[in-house]
Amino acid sequence: MRSVYLLTLRQLSGRWRLVIMTVLASLPIIMAVLTLRDDDAPSTAQFDIVVLSSMLAGSILPLIVLATGAAAFSNEIEDRTIANLTLAPIPRWQILVPKLLATITLAAPFIAVSAFVTSHVAFLADGRATMAVVIASVAAVALYASAFTWLGLVSTQAIGIGLLYIVLWEGLFAGFVAGVRLLSIRHYAIGIMHGLDPRRFAQGSHLGFVPVIVVSLAVFSLFAFLSIRRLRRMDIP
Amino acid sequence: MTAPTTSRVASGKGHEGTVFDIGYRNYTGEREGRSRSRMAIYKDGIRIALGFGRGGRAKILPWLFMAVLSAIGLIMAMIAGAAERLAGPGAAQQLNLPTHNDFYSIAATIMFVFASIVSPELLCRDRREGTINLYLVRPLTGSDYIVSRWGAFMVVFLVAAWLPQVILFLGLAMGDRVPLEYLQAHWMDVPRFLTAGLAMAAFATTLAMLTASFTTRRAYASVFLVGLFLISMPFTVGLAQEIGGMAGQWISMFSLLNIPLHVNDVIFGEPTELTEEAPARAFGSAALVGWYFLWTAGAATLLWWRYRRLTP
Amino acid sequence: MNSDPVIRVDGVSRWFGSVVAVSDVSFTISRGITGLLGPNGAGKTTLMRMITGLAATSSGTVTMFGQPVRDNPPLYRRIGVMSEHETVYGFMKGREFVEMMGRLRGVQDINAATDRAIAMVDLADAQHRTMDTYSRGMRQRMRLAATLVHDPEVLILDEPLNGADPRQRVHFQRLLRQLAAEGRTIVLSSHILEEVEQLAETVLLIVNGKLAASGGFRAIRAALNQRPYHVRVMCDDPRRLASAIVGLPSVDAVNVDPDGALVVLSRNVLDLQIELPRLAQSAAIRLRRVEPLDDSLESVFGYLVEG
Repeated sequence: MRSVYLLTLRQLSGRWRLVIMTVLASLPIIMAVLTLRDDDAPSTAQFDIVVLSSMLAGSILPLIVLATGAAAFSNEIEDRTIANLTLAPIPRWQILVPKLLATITLAAPFIAVSAFVTSHVAFLADGRATMAVVIASVAAVALYASAFTWLGLVSTQAIGIGLLYIVLWEGLFAGFVAGVRLLSIRHYAIGIMHGLDPRRFAQGSHLGFVPVIVVSLAVFSLFAFLSIRRLRRMDIP
Repeated sequence: MTAPTTSRVASGKGHEGTVFDIGYRNYTGEREGRSRSRMAIYKDGIRIALGFGRGGRAKILPWLFMAVLSAIGLIMAMIAGAAERLAGPGAAQQLNLPTHNDFYSIAATIMFVFASIVSPELLCRDRREGTINLYLVRPLTGSDYIVSRWGAFMVVFLVAAWLPQVILFLGLAMGDRVPLEYLQAHWMDVPRFLTAGLAMAAFATTLAMLTASFTTRRAYASVFLVGLFLISMPFTVGLAQEIGGMAGQWISMFSLLNIPLHVNDVIFGEPTELTEEAPARAFGSAALVGWYFLWTAGAATLLWWRYRRLTP
Repeated sequence: MNSDPVIRVDGVSRWFGSVVAVSDVSFTISRGITGLLGPNGAGKTTLMRMITGLAATSSGTVTMFGQPVRDNPPLYRRIGVMSEHETVYGFMKGREFVEMMGRLRGVQDINAATDRAIAMVDLADAQHRTMDTYSRGMRQRMRLAATLVHDPEVLILDEPLNGADPRQRVHFQRLLRQLAAEGRTIVLSSHILEEVEQLAETVLLIVNGKLAASGGFRAIRAALNQRPYHVRVMCDDPRRLASAIVGLPSVDAVNVDPDGALVVLSRNVLDLQIELPRLAQSAAIRLRRVEPLDDSLESVFGYLVEG
């Protein structure tokens, strides 16, 4: 598994990619720092919505994970190097898990640092609020990673579908149709954040803490299971 | 199998080696020139953008986008029609329901995502798989190639941008109690939305294709573009509002999503929900339109220049 | 040498929508070198992919060492596969690639195994360079090293000599013979007649997705010569032509159809192709159409003629 993990890390950490991820991850930090220069800092709810919900959670986080997660398998399928892995005498989950871990390992530090610094600055060093945001962000990374890795396995149009999901489903529809939030990774993450620090993040409609943990674990496992199943059944190019 | 003119000498029957005519015929028909090549690239571009000739799956995304955009136009028309029916004539205007000038601000994100997904299909594949070299050994230059591809995508994008507006216009006209009166009163909307759509299309296609010209993997180009469009907006607008003043206005100018929308505002004479708070508006219409042209023409020039230099 | 079958393909078909790529193929493969021969598009690669378990069968079964190949990862410890595509990671050094493949396949003493594999393909000098600096032939050889590093009992090689220069070809053939002599089962696919002729003891000939012939190469050739081909000839003066060609040594028999076409039975079509036009010319008879009637052997016919 270590070989596949290291291979995937190498494949996904091109120079330009790392630069772009760094730039993207620093944007919320810059926002937070500049926003709180003045005394009339926006309230938590506003900050929550603008920076955390829409910018970080809404765009930066899922896009970074899409670019790495979908590429984990789809690049190999496109280049036809995936047979190198599938022709190994190892169970299929030992191919998926390192790929998934590599995606998470690559994306999570950028997101976690961004989330940490942003909330630390915004919430004036409130430890609990900061941890809530960081943990929720990392959970979101894991969830998106498992979903997009699966997507990269099943479709050559993984990126397009992933973008549609992020922009249309989570971005547009979830705003209008409440039921969509039950099927939205972004809202699971927001639910986790609210659950970890209810005193600060109590407002807004969100899912209960225990249900959202259960659903998150279920969704993560579901996509992982589907990916393994796909690896076993697909025709390898 | 037609009569062989001669047969090949089987091995063992001597050491002669000769080449025989085994039926290959030269093409003796008309040979068309460069314009034909350009047209071929253009038509191929349309086929790629709409997913023709590549099976059902390739068609899903582009047609889904068209459907979603048209649906938005249709829904807007239906809402206005319902308002007229329920609250009496003129209700739509009184309620300030979204109409032609708002359409592009509502649909902007979707349109940019559409551009982000299609433009790499048009450009990245050829460079990755080397087929662009095949094109360039024809009487076709790099600039012919990129102009044809751009033209193809522009046509597709214009359809995506104009069709929903046409649907909206017809829907509003038919929803009115006296459609003819509506047409007479609002006919100026047509050239307005056509121009705004053109501005939107030119901007999105040019920028999207420029980004796609920098990478051979379709995926990265798409994600980068969407990220650029999606993220520049809240970032620059939020920052601009915080910093304020002249600096804030300049920062607001760098919200990529807003650049064509400001032009939309100028055409319709009023701002949309998305742009009314933008500090950049303080610069005035002339500056905003000029800024738009700078970005679009600049991107187009850079794109043309990148491909002009290509040789097989 | 043990000639029990190692690979057993039983009634295997594969279709993609309405296109049948492989149609009801059955055969066994034992130790030694077996060549899978056929024109491009005959279904060789699809068949190879089914043999290695990379692709599923639409019907029928493929077993190796008595076990199903599909969805059976532990079996891959004993198989080495080289596909026709370039499947290397350009950013990796040659040695790193072979090592990684060895590790994935459970090789214990990885350094020794890698050294041995790289020495077998004669790339020790270039092993520390990244593979995007290699020539195509070098990449091919490094891929072969990666296929051999875990010392597999079975080797499945799809068009392995693609892009190899003559010197590499000779080296490769020597290597394969040596591996086969050590008791391995090697399946080699190619559309190049000479390659297979020089290496394979047994040949499987695939035409249009069907198994057209199998067995020793010389035996197939001879068997083909035993069967007379049916060739249909249309001309200006069928009866006169018939009486002339019946005397040709390459002609077994001539039938005259009611519609005036001749059906010539011949076991030596090579000679017939030369003698017939010459005869027609000297008898001042115009040939309108000459076509073989044995559909299933048409490609084979073309093959042997070109060879």
